[in-house]
Amino acid sequence: MYMLSVSCYYHDSSAALLKDGVIVAAAEEERFTRKKHDTSFPINAAKYCLESQNITINEIDYMGFYEKPLLKFERMLSQHLQMFPFSLKTFLSSMPSWINEKLRVLRAIRKKLKYKGDVLFIEHHLAHAASTFLVSPFEKAAILTVDGVGEWTTTTYGLGEGNKINLMKEIKFPHSLGLLYSTITAYLGFSVNNSEYKVMGLAPYGDMNRKTNSYYKKLRRVIDIKEDGSYRFDLSYFKFHYADRMPSKKMCVLLGGPIVKRDSEMTMKHKNIAASLQLVTEEILFKILHHLHKVTNCDNLVMAGGVALNSVANGKILRNTPFKKIWIQPNASDGGTSIGTTSYIYNSVLGHKRNYALKDAYLGPSFSTKEIKTFLVKNKIKYSEFKSESDMIKKVAKLIYDNHVVGWFMKGMEWGPRALGARSILANPCNPKAKELLNSKVKHREKFRPFAPVVCDDDALTYFDCDNPVPEPTDFMLMVYPVWKKWHKVIPSVTHVDGSGRLQTIRRHQNKAYYDLIKEFGKLSGTPILINTSFNIRGEPIVCTPFDAYKCMMGTGIDCIVMDKFMIWRKDNPQDIWDSEQYAKD
Amino acid sequence: MRFFKGFKEGMTCFGDLIAIIVNTVLLFIAYFIGVGITSIVAKIVGKNFLEMKTSAKVKTYWSDLNIKKRSLEECYRQF
Ligand SMILES: [Fe+2]
Repeated sequence: MYMLSVSCYYHDSSAALLKDGVIVAAAEEERFTRKKHDTSFPINAAKYCLESQNITINEIDYMGFYEKPLLKFERMLSQHLQMFPFSLKTFLSSMPSWINEKLRVLRAIRKKLKYKGDVLFIEHHLAHAASTFLVSPFEKAAILTVDGVGEWTTTTYGLGEGNKINLMKEIKFPHSLGLLYSTITAYLGFSVNNSEYKVMGLAPYGDMNRKTNSYYKKLRRVIDIKEDGSYRFDLSYFKFHYADRMPSKKMCVLLGGPIVKRDSEMTMKHKNIAASLQLVTEEILFKILHHLHKVTNCDNLVMAGGVALNSVANGKILRNTPFKKIWIQPNASDGGTSIGTTSYIYNSVLGHKRNYALKDAYLGPSFSTKEIKTFLVKNKIKYSEFKSESDMIKKVAKLIYDNHVVGWFMKGMEWGPRALGARSILANPCNPKAKELLNSKVKHREKFRPFAPVVCDDDALTYFDCDNPVPEPTDFMLMVYPVWKKWHKVIPSVTHVDGSGRLQTIRRHQNKAYYDLIKEFGKLSGTPILINTSFNIRGEPIVCTPFDAYKCMMGTGIDCIVMDKFMIWRKDNPQDIWDSEQYAKD
Repeated sequence: MRFFKGFKEGMTCFGDLIAIIVNTVLLFIAYFIGVGITSIVAKIVGKNFLEMKTSAKVKTYWSDLNIKKRSLEECYRQF
């Protein structure tokens, strides 16, 4: 039995294919269209899913959609009815897309995919809940979903058991932890639905003490938080429910100045605002989680929704709440709901037993040795071939040790926003100048943002103050932990200003070559850790195809790419084809 | 040939512009007549479409959701 689900028209469109209960393919549309956070109908992602299994759309038994469009439309109309006449501008700008596409999902599915079968619609937060619980390793778990907004819901909790999900309580729009994070992101001059993680990265530069951070006290005035973690906003500080700007004038007065201009230098004040936001987020999350544990009496926790990508908060959960185990799927935000929709239909609606747990994120397109060689030959690209995998690992480890920046293109493309060793750029974390090197050669990113380390699972506790055993979401770079103090100076380029690291752990069964490479680098440097950053330049999605990877290298300062068993050097090929600077945007 | 191509492109742009103007006028009417009148009447009778207020009196802001199981029939619905 095959099922295909899609999510689209908000942000991060995606498609996922399930075969007899197993997720066999999943990808986000942005990787194919090369448009970051692409919201359009995921026609390319859906085609990839079908092609990966050599099937046609006629073989799909059910299709799923990740929300109930009419419920969302009702909420949107309610906003206009409540906020009339102040919502005129957003009414005029948003209504055409509702009339032309958002209310015509069924038609789009039929027309674009030529699908004639049944289409099922699942509530957005149910799709989030299913996206994490039904593919988790747990038979029973407490569920928390927190995002910007679905149809009406912004936060839910419940319990998953076997193939059943019971979502018990909700908090409704306009009160939304996700939208609070986005509002402050907008206030600090970053782009909404894109740069929230930058604000999270900025927070440790500020004062992370509730007692001394004056902005924390100010922000607490905006939100009423109850003992059980439920919350509501004083809406006079916000405009997102009726305008295209998120913070109101009153919020600007509260934070002591107008909205920060894009690309401004971040001052101590901005850093303290980011820190206060992180403090409030953690306070709400931990209160909800204490309450959730009390209600469910279950030690396992699964989370989803955009807020579940807050890896700083995630890393503190097991130490600050009664939960003992945690699982979060790699694509916790809206992109991940296509997996949830398809799993929910198969397991919960149709009643099939669960027979799958997501163990790695390599669900996207992969390319065979033959396909890569054909690409290289056809495009007259100069390359060499490794004698064996061990030859490759030895040579590449030495290159990284000698401070080369290496593109690493293996296996299926990652599902979710993080590069996890399939479309990664690797560098030497022991090099104190690695951060500057990567920023000048490739990434062009804000100076305050740290790079992430990757470490083999069996070495993680040596270098990082992780929970023990190391939770599986760490495999997906979803948990930030302190780096043990004695290693701060050994791996300076992956140690953040507060001494933390957003590590990825890799288990050998997930990606053998990647694991072995890190171990081999450890033999040379004494430290089995690499810098792992996404294979893209700022403003572009992570690369998908060999062409994308080659183009990225030639337009940047990446020294070489290891692509399957082939090595391609930038210096051996014409270098004036692309200029990455023109792409370097937010 | 080039003239006709340019003419065709010009007409397409003109058509698009007319469509935008007509749509905007219709949306203006829908907003002020449909949304506006309903909103004013709702305000007179004290109806709120969004939960706008905080309250020191209530102990919790959680509301019941109670989604236990969705049947196949329910999933066909877009609401
Ligand atoms: Fe969501």
